[in-house]
Amino acid sequence: MAKISCGGRATREINAEIRRAIAAGERDIVVEDPGARHNLGVAVLEPVRLRFAGSVGYYCAGLIDGPRIEIDESAGWGLAESMMNGEVIVRGSAGNGAAAAIRGGTVVIHGDAAARLGVSMKGGTVLVAGNCGYMAGFMGQKGRMVVCGDAGDAFADSLYETTCFVGGQIQGLGTDAVVEEPSQEDAAWLDATLAQYLPGARRGQDFKKVVAGKKLWNFDKREWKVWQEAL
Amino acid sequence: MKDVMQTSGTFQPAVIEDIQAKAASGLYRIRGWGTLRERRWATFDDLTFLPCSLTRIPLEGYREKCSTKTVLGKRFARKPIELEIPVMITGMSWGALSYNAKVALARGARTAGSSNTTGDGGMLMAERENSRTLIYEVLPSRYGINIHHMRMADAIELTIGQGAKPGTGGLLLGSKISDVIAKQRDLPVGVDQRSPARHPDFLGPDDMIIKVEELREATDGQVPIFIKMGASRVFDDVKLAAKAGADVIVVDGMEGGTGASPAILQEHTGVPTLAAVCEARAALEDIGLYGEVQLIIAGGIRDGVDAAKAIALGADAVYIGTAALIALNCNRPLYVEDYEQLGTEPHHCHHCHTGRCPVGITTQDPELMKRLDVDEGAERVANLLRAMTLEIQMLARACGKSDIHHLEPEDMAALSMEASAICGIPLAGTRKVFGR
Repeated sequence: MAKISCGGRATREINAEIRRAIAAGERDIVVEDPGARHNLGVAVLEPVRLRFAGSVGYYCAGLIDGPRIEIDESAGWGLAESMMNGEVIVRGSAGNGAAAAIRGGTVVIHGDAAARLGVSMKGGTVLVAGNCGYMAGFMGQKGRMVVCGDAGDAFADSLYETTCFVGGQIQGLGTDAVVEEPSQEDAAWLDATLAQYLPGARRGQDFKKVVAGKKLWNFDKREWKVWQEAL
Repeated sequence: MKDVMQTSGTFQPAVIEDIQAKAASGLYRIRGWGTLRERRWATFDDLTFLPCSLTRIPLEGYREKCSTKTVLGKRFARKPIELEIPVMITGMSWGALSYNAKVALARGARTAGSSNTTGDGGMLMAERENSRTLIYEVLPSRYGINIHHMRMADAIELTIGQGAKPGTGGLLLGSKISDVIAKQRDLPVGVDQRSPARHPDFLGPDDMIIKVEELREATDGQVPIFIKMGASRVFDDVKLAAKAGADVIVVDGMEGGTGASPAILQEHTGVPTLAAVCEARAALEDIGLYGEVQLIIAGGIRDGVDAAKAIALGADAVYIGTAALIALNCNRPLYVEDYEQLGTEPHHCHHCHTGRCPVGITTQDPELMKRLDVDEGAERVANLLRAMTLEIQMLARACGKSDIHHLEPEDMAALSMEASAICGIPLAGTRKVFGR
């Protein structure tokens, strides 16, 4: 296992050392004392395990494809943005726009997620053990979002085909968001996924499912009110 | 005796048609192309060049060397892009445009020694393969975002907005969300795609500083980072983009084109390209970064004259979009019956939004697309880029410049008081800069 110390070093230098370690064949790397620096672990494209022993700033694990990135404490904005594949595990909480525009892979947040969780998701899965802030799931295109706690206002607004699950209360649904009963397949998927990443979470059948009502997909003058009130 | 026909100055025929169309649909009007308004604002046509006579010595117009080499991204990038000419192809999405159009633009730009840009739908591999210099756009929608494609690019363009509709996201109607485009964008087939206006992971200029740095990390600091904006509060926006660490700033004026947009945004938002270039230059001068941060101007650039004037006013290069599509046969009198089916005719068509482009450019219909031959289209695009470059050189030589980038505001006079005031150039026939 390789250890990289961040003390007193710039992000560019730290990321370069991560890349050198990967190029040298290291598959298990610990970055010590990240000090909430921004842009750590960006664009890692190899199937390595990369652990940040502390908190990270904005865009950690952004634009990755394949690694497992673990963050011992919390993460700033844009966690794992546009990730294509891999796993990102945050032991603490995450700031705005976590898992924004991800195309694949799994993001797990053991604490809470702030506003705009999973906006413009294009695939993949995001799991939050705690609560999420407002506008989570906005314009979600594909993939699954699971919030075990409560969801903030304007939840799942303007969805395309992302499927959202909420275990707790939803402060307010977004425009065109529709609550459905989870199917047996949904509950089975939730049970299996949560058992893998967040053991101890509530059972799949206890979640509410939120999907698109599809009224915003194509304009229909009979649905004018929906369009007027769209965010 | 028949009465003299009178037309309302307020409710002209086009206004009547607009009201009745909205009364039927309940929706704002949507169309492509860009502003259709008669240009009553100051434009590049309000300027004229002042060639050499006795006060300055011209270069031989057809012979002497006049460099057109254009280098962009000198501020921070390890590998600035070097183009043979200062006319580049702007971002237009695969989705708004057909596959053939995207490939023809790439190949044409490559032939002419220039660049082309992806668009709001990600990169088409054939586009990369046919490009000399490819600029990869990162847009608010992040459709097709792919780190592997980003790393193949020669520059990254972080797009905040576009001139045809600053402040509003892209629009692609369901008729163009074919199976293949839906897959590329991760959207349901046939949905009317209304793209977000805000990036999903940053909101303001302070966050954008970190975002720009992320893009540098993702590309190992090798390639230039462009920031593109629709022309709005240009003076302030350009300074914020420069502060965010842009190597190159792209300002897209209100005459800029679009594949589809609410018509009112095309007609009533943003500031004209002439004003935009002047404000952008002033902004960079104000913070001491003029020359260090390169400036690309876009929005209704038609020919080498517009390009030369933009360069003289402070641009390092120009983007063309609509002009390049016209080179591909947009609005050419071919398949006239298909124009008529759209309710229009050649030279008047702005029906890009329908997906029924008679000449195969703004369509996803395989049969219509066949009407655009990639090789022929690429040659016409290259020819246009080369002709525009020769026009720029012609004007530069006449002004005594051995490098087109040496053109300067002093090489021009204003033909209207508005242009004089906007550009800070004396009105022809006077020594007076109006408004100063």
